[in-house]
Amino acid sequence: MAYGFEAKNDSGNVIINDTIENLHFIGKATRGSSSAGYGDFPNYSGSNDTLDGRCIWTYTITCSGTPVAFIKPADYARWHAIIKQSVSSTTWTFEVMISGTSTSNPPEVYCFVNADDVPTSSETFGMLVYKSDGTTTTFDSRRQPLAITGGGTAVSPSDPTNGSGLPGTTNNASWNASSNDHDFRSSNQYNDYSDSNINTSNTMFACPSLAQGVYSRVINGYKCSDLSWPQSGCQPHWSTAWWWVMYRAAFRLRSGYFDAGWTNYQAGFWFQSTYSGSGWFNGGGGGYSSGNRPYENKVINLQSNAYIIADSSRYD
Amino acid sequence: MSHGLSVFKPDGSLGFSTADVTWQTVAQFTVAANATVSNTYSEAAGMTVIAQRQLVNVPPSAQEDYAPNVVVSNNSQTITVSPQSGLSSSECIIHVLAQDT
Repeated sequence: MAYGFEAKNDSGNVIINDTIENLHFIGKATRGSSSAGYGDFPNYSGSNDTLDGRCIWTYTITCSGTPVAFIKPADYARWHAIIKQSVSSTTWTFEVMISGTSTSNPPEVYCFVNADDVPTSSETFGMLVYKSDGTTTTFDSRRQPLAITGGGTAVSPSDPTNGSGLPGTTNNASWNASSNDHDFRSSNQYNDYSDSNINTSNTMFACPSLAQGVYSRVINGYKCSDLSWPQSGCQPHWSTAWWWVMYRAAFRLRSGYFDAGWTNYQAGFWFQSTYSGSGWFNGGGGGYSSGNRPYENKVINLQSNAYIIADSSRYD
Repeated sequence: MSHGLSVFKPDGSLGFSTADVTWQTVAQFTVAANATVSNTYSEAAGMTVIAQRQLVNVPPSAQEDYAPNVVVSNNSQTITVSPQSGLSSSECIIHVLAQDT
């Protein structure tokens, strides 16, 4: 370049210049309310009732520009994901999903914005770098610039369920069969990405949750009861038991690894039992349901998404 | 270090230096549902460019919530965001980050 500013790191790669803005730390988002649930199937008790559960926390921060948000877990054993980021005027809201139903140990959300949208600092010492227009800031040493320790692209496995294979539909089971035989938990379903810089004390990550999925187990039961004299023939009985779970991609930091997996976001159970009203017997039946399955069984948005790893202790 | 650049926090501790690695931010923009957007950033030419996608809304209760595709092309200068083939797409925030590698 003929003029301007450029700084290269020890590997000879540009990390500050006068054409592209650096990201700078603007603060931790403020934690608000939470909702927890789905540690098991609503209105069902029996085998494979247990789910991973999830807790959703809301965080807000006010700033110009669009913040890049990093999650710093308080409990590194849990799965985390930002499932929503929206703005009203200059107040940004994040919804952070965490596996498990406990509201203890919520994570912290560290926010970074581009240099020109960093709040003005009252510090009178430091270094500012501008673009050639002389007004747009690309670097401001008074606000802590983002330094990363790793990153790459990650994708969750296509099957979110611990159970063998994907759950399906069984027909001609016994009438009123309502015992779930599929493990819908996700704790064993993840892809791991090696990164020796990751630790479970101060590592944080930025990786929005894109993938989501819905899967169901359906058991259709049937029984034919012989009609007693003077009737003859069969009185049919039908039943349907239906378990469904909706998942969102979620991530976990382990020592030396970034894991891309899943956590259940919603779940429901539907059961109905009926029998024919022919002959001298009146027909009837009953059932119950919880929630609405969002869509047919599938995984969508199963694409690699960029993740970034950084050391939160630099910004505390 | 014997040479390079170090910048310090107001408390005197090290904030950033040429021993560090970073991603710089080329642009952030929000793409409306079902829209196609193509932006070119000449300053990112030849760099490694990633585009993080963040869905704006949580999934509604009865709708498939598709993220748009992102393609980086033209020697890393052009970012094209468009719905997945044959599908609708949801509103999405795009962070375009660049790294000299």
